[in-house]
Amino acid sequence: MREQRRKDAVWKFLTYSFILVMTLGMMVPLYWMIVAASLPQEEFIRFPPRLYPGTEFLNNLSVLHEETQFLISIWNSVFIAVVYTILSVLLCSMAGFAFAKYEFRFKEPIFYLILATLILPIQLLVIPLFLMMAQIGWTDTFRAIILPWLANPIGIFLMRQNMKSIPDALLESARMDGATEFQLFYRIALPAMRSSLAALAIILFLFQWDLFLYPLVILEDPGNYTIPVALSGLEESRRINFDQIMVASSLAIIPMAILFLFLQKQFVSGILAGSLKE
Amino acid sequence: MARITLTDLTKVYDPGGEAVVAADDISLEVTDGEFLVLVGPSGCGKSTTLRCIAGLEDITEGSLEFDDQNVTTYSASERDVAMVFQNYALYPHMTVRQNLGFGLKLSTDLPSAEISEKVDAVAEMLGISELLGDKPKALSGGQQQRVALGRAIVREPEVFLMDEPLSNLDAKLRSDMRTELQELQQDLGVTTVYVTHDQTEAMAMGDRIAVMNAGELQQVGPPEEVYRSPKNEFVADFIGSPSINLFDANVNDSTLTGPGGFVYELEDASPVESYDHVRVGIRPEDITVVEESPNRATVTVVEPMGNENFCYMTLGDVEMTARIAPTKRPVADEGVAFTFAEEALYLFDPVTGESLKTKTDDTTPDLTTEVSG
Repeated sequence: MREQRRKDAVWKFLTYSFILVMTLGMMVPLYWMIVAASLPQEEFIRFPPRLYPGTEFLNNLSVLHEETQFLISIWNSVFIAVVYTILSVLLCSMAGFAFAKYEFRFKEPIFYLILATLILPIQLLVIPLFLMMAQIGWTDTFRAIILPWLANPIGIFLMRQNMKSIPDALLESARMDGATEFQLFYRIALPAMRSSLAALAIILFLFQWDLFLYPLVILEDPGNYTIPVALSGLEESRRINFDQIMVASSLAIIPMAILFLFLQKQFVSGILAGSLKE
Repeated sequence: MARITLTDLTKVYDPGGEAVVAADDISLEVTDGEFLVLVGPSGCGKSTTLRCIAGLEDITEGSLEFDDQNVTTYSASERDVAMVFQNYALYPHMTVRQNLGFGLKLSTDLPSAEISEKVDAVAEMLGISELLGDKPKALSGGQQQRVALGRAIVREPEVFLMDEPLSNLDAKLRSDMRTELQELQQDLGVTTVYVTHDQTEAMAMGDRIAVMNAGELQQVGPPEEVYRSPKNEFVADFIGSPSINLFDANVNDSTLTGPGGFVYELEDASPVESYDHVRVGIRPEDITVVEESPNRATVTVVEPMGNENFCYMTLGDVEMTARIAPTKRPVADEGVAFTFAEEALYLFDPVTGESLKTKTDDTTPDLTTEVSG
């Protein structure tokens, strides 16, 4: 009995130690990023490295602001990601609703075709998409960044799976109550899918937020750069401005962190939705 | 309120080119204000028929009329019907008040104050006024049931359709709600079509019952009539609990001989004149256990119900049930002699199942009198 209890305690200790080490492993780069953002460039490359924040954060920020238009890039990224997320959530959930709840010809083949597009890597699509955008004169515009990715196959798949859990009787009942098909979607299906929508929103926002190669090709004017594109610009010319990259990176995670804090409860329950019978 | 007329209504499902006839040539009239129960085993097409009336399924052939208006091609919302679903189908993200008012909000242009008034009135009637602010998740099964009913009532429709609305409730609540539903329907006087697989519920609730099997309408009539004079063997077997005892018998002039040495002399052999064998049916309550009779069965189990005893026995290889007085308690594994009156005897065509003879007189012994005596 006592033997068993000691074994349990040891296991518990090992488990928590492991979790702690893993957490530290994740946190250290983040912490170092914030520390480095507040150090002058000379101190950054000194060894042994300084492990606590310095006082140069605002200074580094103003240099960053003078040399690049980074605050504008943050705004660009937020704008693009927000507009993209709203439109794409709408589109994916409508498509998911149709695939889950309606019967139409070639439904299955179309759905699998959409899923099959997951095989294509972004790198493969960048050149053809760029040529298309150049042809219709959309290069260096936000709509060229937003529109091609709206129909997100993962989003459609996720919403289809979740929409399937809406009981048919619920929709039929609304139909008898006089709801139109579109009202079924936005008054019954969407509210019932709140947590899945939050999960989808985070996934889509993150996708667009991290998108690098495609905007790099499409965007020309530095005033239109998104964060990843602007960041890459910091290390291209004469030297690598670590201090500025660190400041920029620190700023870049803020919107993401805010979004996740707001949606995390829904996000977790959305990912688990349908895993338990209620 | 409306009279519902189904004329040769047929519904064919066609999944992947394989046609399944779910409702076959159904003709039926539900009079204004009537409570009609569609009853049958699962898969008999009763729910399909209801859904066709609701407008949730297209009608493949035939027509549907409300009063004199042909509504065959109308959409569900145009038909002015309200439906109560088996699993209630309450909108999970809306409060009870919003659930009740949703239909009025969408299908009428009533001002919200008036909708609110109607919702309050219906909630009051169903005793759910204090639940108006709650979400469906917070309600018990019985309360959810009331909200589902309320949602149908508040729209004041021409027709109520109910698809096994009581089947998710526990036994006690079910019988309470059964009575309440009937009272409610009588008060409102709305034409109602009610689907159930439970023949007891059908018998207890329906002004008339319509028995269905394999997509076809078998018989429509008042519960007593369907019970006493079933059109065929299926109806006789389906209606009544415990169910009727059925077995094959050979006909020799006016003598029936069956399994386990069963022999019965018919006084009136005219129904079986042209048959050499028939199906025999005897209701459990028509069997009397006696001291001496040519017919003997072996008792397997006796179940006391309090006011009566169910006596299960075997006659040759046929299992039989008798409802006998609580004072009688035959011993298991022993033979028991039984008899019955010819008036209580049912005879069916062995091939088509059609009735050749049904009860001709009310011969059911009054068990309760025996108890008090």
